[in-house]
Amino acid sequence: MTERDVSQDALVIERSFDAPADLIWQMWTEPEHFKAWYGPDGATVPVAKMEVRPGGSRLVCLEMDTPGGLVQMWFTGEYREVAENQRLVYTESMSDKNGNVLSPSEMGMPHGHPATTKVIVELEDLGGRTKMVLTHTGIPADSAGAAGWAMALNKLAAHVEARSVR
Amino acid sequence: MTLMIDEDRLSETFAALASPARRAILARLAEGEANVNELAGPFDLTLPAISKHLKVLERAGLVIRSQRAQYRPCTLDPAPLEEISAWAEQYRPVWEARFDRMDSYLTRLRSQRKADEHDD
Repeated sequence: MTERDVSQDALVIERSFDAPADLIWQMWTEPEHFKAWYGPDGATVPVAKMEVRPGGSRLVCLEMDTPGGLVQMWFTGEYREVAENQRLVYTESMSDKNGNVLSPSEMGMPHGHPATTKVIVELEDLGGRTKMVLTHTGIPADSAGAAGWAMALNKLAAHVEARSVR
Repeated sequence: MTLMIDEDRLSETFAALASPARRAILARLAEGEANVNELAGPFDLTLPAISKHLKVLERAGLVIRSQRAQYRPCTLDPAPLEEISAWAEQYRPVWEARFDRMDSYLTRLRSQRKADEHDD
């Protein structure tokens, strides 16, 4: 498969940091550190609850100061894979402050918009430095097998590209 | 974090792809055109069920049904799949900015720790 096939339904970003893998792991898994970098510019992260174990839940609040007042956005999800200093996989959905998932239509999004996304963080220790690969994929609202969906789509896209003579 | 892509179109693509049967139909059409009868065979679905799935795929722009005679072959149009890629790409600047901040935070942490060591 070519690189283009893989990126068909996923965002992949590779970065290197001048810090050991265990410190980068803490950036993702310890609220105190996570809050320091996660919020988009102009936003703060007043809440970051993290039960970092497979099946553990997470709840993150982004707070933005807008001309119309403070706006809060809540995100909930579940940790799927936790391999310390190596690999972290979690899901993310928009929610209320109690972690109740809001459907895309409640958020004003049209039906079928992916309600849940999956974030995969892979770390590789390069002796004091760390290579980090982030993968962010969409999961269709009513699909149970998200991984299967992504794989099927990649296969399909590869197939189409192989056949098209455009 | 504004999403500037045609959300309606995108949501139809996601909804269309959310069904295993429809993904199977798309995979079959990726191999070449087929009509309703030919699609019904391998999937163990009734003709009305296939027609229903095809309508969803047609609405999402993933399948084009020719009006050619009675045969009415269906062909795959991969264009909407490319828009899904664009959907994921919208998050790139958000994540890049986050990692820039992580980088400067790490630098701050390190100089702080060095300063602490000097104090000891």
